[in-house]
Amino acid sequence: MRLRDLVRKEVAELAASRAFWLLLLIVGLLTGQSFITAMNAYAEASGIGGGAVALPQGLSPLDGILTPTLGVYDLAITLLFPFVAIRLVANEKSSDALKLMLQWPASIERQIAAKAISLIGAWVVSLVPFGIALGLWRAYGGHLHAPEVLNLLAGYTLRFLLTAAIAMAAAALMSGAANAAIVVLAFTIGTWALDFIAAGRGGIVQTLASFTPGAALRSFERGLFRVDGVLVMLIISLFGFGLAANWLHLGRSIKARMAGTAVLFILAGLGVLNVLMLVRSSFDLSENRRNSFSLADEQALAQIREPLTITPFLSAEDPRMMDFENNVLVKLRRSLPELRVVYPLAGRSGLFENNAHYGEIVYRLGMKTATSRSMTEEIVLETIYELSGVHAPPHEASTYPGYPLAKRPAGAALIFYAVWPAIIITVILSRRSRRKIHKTAV
Amino acid sequence: MTLEVTHLSARRGARQVLADVSFTANRGEILGVIGPNGAGKTTLFECVAGVLPFDGGKIDSDLLFYVPDAIRPWPDQTVRWTLTLTARMFATQFDSALLDDLDLVALQHATVRSLSKGEAKRLDIAVGLASPRTVLLLDEPFDGLDLRQTRQVMEILRRDAAKGRTLVLSIHQLSDAARACDRFLLLDHGRSVAEGTLNELTSRTGAEGLEEVFLALT
Repeated sequence: MRLRDLVRKEVAELAASRAFWLLLLIVGLLTGQSFITAMNAYAEASGIGGGAVALPQGLSPLDGILTPTLGVYDLAITLLFPFVAIRLVANEKSSDALKLMLQWPASIERQIAAKAISLIGAWVVSLVPFGIALGLWRAYGGHLHAPEVLNLLAGYTLRFLLTAAIAMAAAALMSGAANAAIVVLAFTIGTWALDFIAAGRGGIVQTLASFTPGAALRSFERGLFRVDGVLVMLIISLFGFGLAANWLHLGRSIKARMAGTAVLFILAGLGVLNVLMLVRSSFDLSENRRNSFSLADEQALAQIREPLTITPFLSAEDPRMMDFENNVLVKLRRSLPELRVVYPLAGRSGLFENNAHYGEIVYRLGMKTATSRSMTEEIVLETIYELSGVHAPPHEASTYPGYPLAKRPAGAALIFYAVWPAIIITVILSRRSRRKIHKTAV
Repeated sequence: MTLEVTHLSARRGARQVLADVSFTANRGEILGVIGPNGAGKTTLFECVAGVLPFDGGKIDSDLLFYVPDAIRPWPDQTVRWTLTLTARMFATQFDSALLDDLDLVALQHATVRSLSKGEAKRLDIAVGLASPRTVLLLDEPFDGLDLRQTRQVMEILRRDAAKGRTLVLSIHQLSDAARACDRFLLLDHGRSVAEGTLNELTSRTGAEGLEEVFLALT
């Protein structure tokens, strides 16, 4: 049987689902609200109100427009899309249609693949409001950097795929749609908890937490394409789809399905382990190279062969620690493969730390150590160059010009709050009335 | 021989639901599986169709298709969509004469969800007939149908069997079973108690009619 026929069937099922149309309606409204708010804030930072204008270099469309607008989709992926994905499996289980499908001359794996493809199609359709926002932004004269946009979309698509896979696995494993929804929400909350617990802790917990959907998404939002993150998300997604197919084989004994789960778990575990050990490459796709040092500094750092250990005496939620993590350690991890960061403090807030060294950052390279309290990139690099004996290159000023745009989002409210809902509601009503006509005819 | 089941057994937890069940169904015949509630008729069908696991035994069969009892597959889709889908999934053309035969023409654009019990049953039978498989297992094909519809469906099934398809029907109404089937498999507590034509069963038990056979053997 052709995969195309199976996909056609799944698309028809999605189109018949009221949940999907409601999702489109809500996503459109929320995207509009986010975009309009972001545009107004961006216009004000660009000096539209006559107040102080922010430094142009600080005005990046990635931070100011793209990330907040697409951020709505994180909400949709967490709270709305799981129900659409669960419905695709749970309805067929509860109506016993699955028993018919298991007898079709198409393996259940192929059928799950068709469901995944149709869900990706649904995801692409749901991105139409974001596409409208991008179009409006360009029409207002806004700037876009294609690699940033594509990277961000890739991140959200992977996040969507992961959620769809977990939702389908939960629907296959659990006895009803409500139970499956609880499992998916528990998974999401679990990853949030891991993210929270692991912040500033170091070790394997922090490594694992860097692959949670939330953490992975943050990398994409910074314009960073982490190959390891992408591979881990793909492996977990495949694991989820595999799990769904395994548990929908109703003709297999529970023992056989448990064995199948174990095999999938081992394969996924080995895959993730291999990625963690072997894959380190990442690409800075941000236009302002926010995840990288200057090229001269990268070349200078590449000369350091010895492992560098950095011990920040700062608690996880100290804003200085967050700045240090986001502005310096991210870049150092990309430039120094032999970097080790030790997090010596257990407290989260730092309010009750009674450590004489609190606020210090200790650098150790071979037998040499240095201590500093500064978290700025320049001082950190200077400290590392002094320890290593590598000659510091001359400072290069950023060439990123920044893209201020002092314009209000004229017409956006009409499109997102009137035209989009009108289109979706018209489709919903026309589908309903078509059914009513048939019922009356009967 | 189009379907041969030998020594089939299945457990659900600690409960033995099928024990050493053996039977055959020949090309072009209608085999009725009868038995009291809980005898294991549906479990037998689902094991044979491969949608439930079984613990032991052997199933030799041509390609078969099983339609469960009282299902409303894809409730948001229309009757026509469901039948067209079934035919397409088996790479055959949907024969719209099926809609005529089963009085579904007026309902073809109605959603499956909106069908009454009897209408949904006619759709289930149509789904089975839309498949080109040479062995068709229908669970309770007359349940929910009125007398006229029951006779009409019997007639359709007879015609289908005459074309060479083997039909295995699970039926709890013995009067319907007696009218519709060529041979019978009597199940009780997961065991096959008897198999044969009505004449064979009555001469074996000395009973008159299928109901008497049922009462004598279960």
